[in-house]
Amino acid sequence: MAEPLVRMENIRKSYGRVQALVDANFHVNEREIVGLLGDNGAGKSTLIKVLSGAVPLTSGDIFIRGKKVDFRSTSDAIAHGIETIYQDSALVTQLSIARNLFLGREPIKPPRFLNRMDQEAMNVVARDLLKQVGISKNIPPTTPIGSLSGGERQAVAIARAMHFDSDLIILDEPTNNLGVAETQGVLSFVRSARDSGHSCIFIAHNIHHVFQVVDRIVVMRRGKVVADDIDPKNTSVAEVERIITGMSDKEIRDAIVQGKQSQG
Amino acid sequence: MENSSIIQRSIARPEFGPFVLLVVELAVFWGFNHDFLSPQNISNILAFTVELGLIALAMTLLMTSGEFDLSVGSLFGFSPVLMWTLFNSGLTSLEAGFVVALLVAAFIGLVNGWFVTQLKIPSFLVTLGMLLVVRGTALFVTSGFPQRTWSAEGSWLAEALVGDFFIGPFRIYMSLFWFIAAAIALGYVLTQSRTGNWIQAAGGNPNAARARGVNVSGVKIGLFILSSIMASLAGVISSLRTSAANPNSGTGYELEVIAMVVIGGTALTGGRGTIIGTVLGILILRVMRNGIVLIGVPGLAYNIFIGAIILGMMALHSWLERRHQAGT
Repeated sequence: MAEPLVRMENIRKSYGRVQALVDANFHVNEREIVGLLGDNGAGKSTLIKVLSGAVPLTSGDIFIRGKKVDFRSTSDAIAHGIETIYQDSALVTQLSIARNLFLGREPIKPPRFLNRMDQEAMNVVARDLLKQVGISKNIPPTTPIGSLSGGERQAVAIARAMHFDSDLIILDEPTNNLGVAETQGVLSFVRSARDSGHSCIFIAHNIHHVFQVVDRIVVMRRGKVVADDIDPKNTSVAEVERIITGMSDKEIRDAIVQGKQSQG
Repeated sequence: MENSSIIQRSIARPEFGPFVLLVVELAVFWGFNHDFLSPQNISNILAFTVELGLIALAMTLLMTSGEFDLSVGSLFGFSPVLMWTLFNSGLTSLEAGFVVALLVAAFIGLVNGWFVTQLKIPSFLVTLGMLLVVRGTALFVTSGFPQRTWSAEGSWLAEALVGDFFIGPFRIYMSLFWFIAAAIALGYVLTQSRTGNWIQAAGGNPNAARARGVNVSGVKIGLFILSSIMASLAGVISSLRTSAANPNSGTGYELEVIAMVVIGGTALTGGRGTIIGTVLGILILRVMRNGIVLIGVPGLAYNIFIGAIILGMMALHSWLERRHQAGT
């Protein structure tokens, strides 16, 4: 089988004595949407933070197309084509769509010493991108982000990741607080991102949203990946829910014993 | 249709409120006393306006990046004291003293910025502390007495900064041109340059800016340095123009400058700033100070009017902001 786009091996992350990730193994293939599920505290966010360079790992390896990488900051991850979109922190509400799209990589008009942004070029690209991700309304690229809806903001963030050729777009709870129509919009942006050659990790509490869009589901529990090859087409929501929360009686007893031992 | 949308758009701009206020103010004062728009009075207003104005311009960029600087008033007093002390003691020429004063100011700005960005202490506390350090130093060095300043005659520095000439009946100081140049340059930086985009992003959503590789700390430190240098320059200009270097001068200017900036429509919380608005804010407050004296209101009542203007403009800006956010 071909080398996956991203492979994380035996990832450990501890915060003091708390083990957030315990030998987690995870991968994303090219042109694939992976749904990452797990209960609160299962380690999803930590895994994503490690992959996006926001927190350093304690031990383990990350490979991109088979090459080992070492992320020290989010800029490192972005440089390697990994873009993370957090629902509220991705965009600057006071700036326009075009200025947000190019934030940090603004094109400069010659002569360069004047440091002048090429706003025309930014607007042209922005208009094009908005069309690409399928924002149906005719929104001018000079509109401030603050006057867009939650779904439109997600679309702008996804469009930005697509434009700058991120290989992997990580979406953290992109459908939180969105209405039904907006959620469908975001799901279609995610599909169009995959269709144009990008991979995505999709994290959401709402399993139904995950089922509608992903190619494969990965479930985490207590810092480990406990299932990584669930096909949403052949698996029921109830079954996945059982894997997420589902500890058998024996597992619960084991956990209690283990807890007592580690305290002793 | 096209016309009405242009009108609607200008009303929605943050500069619209301050502009109307300034026009009303001018009309009212002129109505009470026609001397208000006499060449001599206009010359008077302009002379002092640009000195506080230079500080307000830099403060606009700093506040857009989400920080502010309370130490500017103390630097306004300290820098000329330092320059004249160096000159009077024979250590340096006046020009070299000026350069030293600017370098010391830049260092003070650097320290402010370092405390705020690296130690994560709110700029309110850092610059309040710096205000006391700088003002205290000025008072200590001078034992509280004004410095001798009468020997600036003929110095090219004095000519370049505060040399005056007449255009028709108007007496214009060179400092006016420095102010106009600074307003154009900083307005350009804020609205046209890549740096301006970073300044707004640093104030609007620093985490998002950082995630995009913007050096938020660098931007803020640079603006703290700019703010200190402009305060220092303004202090020197004022000292040369009035032939005085009093360690107490500039007391309370920090709040007046911040008031000018927020009246003009720059958000105290960062992310949004306007140089045109600040220029209007500067004029509103200076015209008010001049006008109420001219129409016979006791000067001591000045703060009542300023306070009322600040409250009124804040209410207007917040209303416009909510309309704007709602997308109407």
